[in-house]
Amino acid sequence: MKNEELELIKDGKRLDGRGFDELRPITIEVGVLKRADGSCYFQLGNNKAIAAVFGPREMHPRHFQDAKMAVVTYRYNMAPLSDDRKRPGPDRRSVEISKVSREALDPVIIKEYYPKTAIDVYVELLQSDAGTRTAGINAASVALAAAGIPMRDLVSSVAVGKIDGEVVLDLSAKEDNFGEADMPISMVARTDTITMIQMDGRFTEDEFKRGMELAKQGCHQIYELQRAALLDKYSESVEQGEK
Amino acid sequence: MYKVVVPGDYISDEAKRAGEGTYVEEGKVYAANYGIVSEKEEIRVVALAGKYVPFRGDVVIGKIIEIAYPYWIVDIGSPYEGRLHINEFGREGDRKIDFSSMSDYLDLGDLVVAKVLNVDALMRIDLTLKDEFMISDRGRLIEISYTKVPRVIGRSGSMIKMLKEKCNCFIFIAKNGRIWIRGKEEDMNLATQVLLMISNEAHTSGLTDRVSNFLDSFKEKREGE
Amino acid sequence: MEDLRKDYVYDLIDSGKRIDGRGFQDYREITVERDAIDKAEGSALVKIGDTAVLVGVKVEPGAPFPDTPNLGVIMTNAELRPGASPDFEPGPPGENSIELARLVDRGIRGSEALDLEKLCIEPGEKVWMTFIDIHILDNDGNLIDAAALGAIVSLLKLRIPTERYGLTGDDMLSPRETPVAVSIIDVGGNFLVDPCLYEENAASSKLTVISNADGTLSGLQKSGNGGLKQEQIEAMIELGIEKGQEIREKFLVIEG
Repeated sequence: MKNEELELIKDGKRLDGRGFDELRPITIEVGVLKRADGSCYFQLGNNKAIAAVFGPREMHPRHFQDAKMAVVTYRYNMAPLSDDRKRPGPDRRSVEISKVSREALDPVIIKEYYPKTAIDVYVELLQSDAGTRTAGINAASVALAAAGIPMRDLVSSVAVGKIDGEVVLDLSAKEDNFGEADMPISMVARTDTITMIQMDGRFTEDEFKRGMELAKQGCHQIYELQRAALLDKYSESVEQGEK
Repeated sequence: MYKVVVPGDYISDEAKRAGEGTYVEEGKVYAANYGIVSEKEEIRVVALAGKYVPFRGDVVIGKIIEIAYPYWIVDIGSPYEGRLHINEFGREGDRKIDFSSMSDYLDLGDLVVAKVLNVDALMRIDLTLKDEFMISDRGRLIEISYTKVPRVIGRSGSMIKMLKEKCNCFIFIAKNGRIWIRGKEEDMNLATQVLLMISNEAHTSGLTDRVSNFLDSFKEKREGE
Repeated sequence: MEDLRKDYVYDLIDSGKRIDGRGFQDYREITVERDAIDKAEGSALVKIGDTAVLVGVKVEPGAPFPDTPNLGVIMTNAELRPGASPDFEPGPPGENSIELARLVDRGIRGSEALDLEKLCIEPGEKVWMTFIDIHILDNDGNLIDAAALGAIVSLLKLRIPTERYGLTGDDMLSPRETPVAVSIIDVGGNFLVDPCLYEENAASSKLTVISNADGTLSGLQKSGNGGLKQEQIEAMIELGIEKGQEIREKFLVIEG
């Protein structure tokens, strides 16, 4: 919904002071949940996502099993107080986000290694500020690796959008609400293969291309952070042990 | 120093040597697991986490979870269950063992030591009992990740040998990360503590020495009391 | 059985052919019947090959959303009717029909086809609510394109039932834009437009491109368990805009 009075860009900077190609601050922590097989906390600006991975484990009910490969499930859920309008339980938006998020990660998981099993991914949003699905996918990707699930690559995700006619990276909630377009993207940084793309609003073809370029840059940066978090987790346990 | 990799990390151009924990794409070897690169004959990535998947010949500790004639269904700490056939026990005199008498031999909750006979394409896992020893009431079961088992055993069994001596316990480690220990209560407590310590610090250097020192200082303290 | 079909479809496409003999960039025969539902304020029955979707639009007064007190409301829902396809599961709508409804909704909303300000009756109190109901009658693939086409056709001359509710104002609303959804699948690097059911099941990825008469995009959605390169997406977008314009010229010319 365009709001004519609100200026989203002032003196070449966005409301929170960021440049057009800047990500919000990111914090990643691996292994935050002891009971899950793999877990990750991912904070992007004011978005706080926790991903928990269980599996591979026996798939129930049996008739959903695939004799040749693991079945991946993904459940995205916004915790009741994470957002003003949230009531408990899955809503239509969460169902769609769960689907596209699963389809963002499924391509990299080597499912053939674990026939007849289920790999269950649960993503909870504790706090939201636009970009929740991207934070969730970033968290889930790290949690899957931490759980020892065999994958071809990590997946990284970020949204681009259009505000006051400018294409920018990583929309905040205000920018999403009052901007003209919102396009979340997930990709494999190593090969620039896109595993998720959605668009809401209006883009010309050129704006779309500009958005893709910004998204690529953003995903590459996020990938480095995801990778570092996993490596740090290992060396952290090495340090603790050697004390 | 160990080289840690994440899925998708490039490892080598020698596709022919690609082994467990890797995949090959356009002639190059990449990591498929979050783990540590091992480059001996094969290029492997040893996973830091994951679920145990049985292979023929593995010796595992299992728990009977279901009696489904003519099989006992066995939980082996894997996404896949194992099964033991009644033929393991031969016949009762003239008759084959029947459903009602199966629990006389193995009942729900019993722990067994078994070898993996076969894993078929449908992931049906046939087990056979190994009668080296019986798992009885006296003793304790400890579970660690199967990925840490090699470290608990140590190079040429050095670590496990030291543990058995210094803890004065019978210790049996199975491929699936389950460990059976038997000894005096306080010795088993020590062994449990040390096994968990090794499991948590599996990929650190100098671990063997640290464990040895820990065990020695513990013994000294005890003798001092 | 399903694998044999997949392989068969793959092999055919590899040799440049499709099951029904179409070209890679050809749609099946599309028929559009306007005002298929008398009682609705707008409606259309769309058939693409053997896929059949019935869209009905009801317009009723109601309360606006609190954060947009002077704008009308659009709500889109989709249901798979029994017997539509062998995979039909009775009960609450599943992820596919939810995705479909939300995608059609975004296409219309993003294009600003309906001037929501014109649907305001009394700011903060009463607005016209537009319920777009999508009924999937027969599924032979590419439900999205059929549903989206049905939705925009239903809105071409949307009746606003002012008299029935004792209100004044325009009794008809025409859209300012005509978004068209074009779904394209990727099978081994080949782009196929308007996939039938077998082709959808064989494809690793599908991209739906929703474009407007002015060449802008008001919707994009990748679905399926595959990945696409940027160049592929850009090529599919161009193809989607091109095919969208063809459909627009045939079925969405607003008369008078």
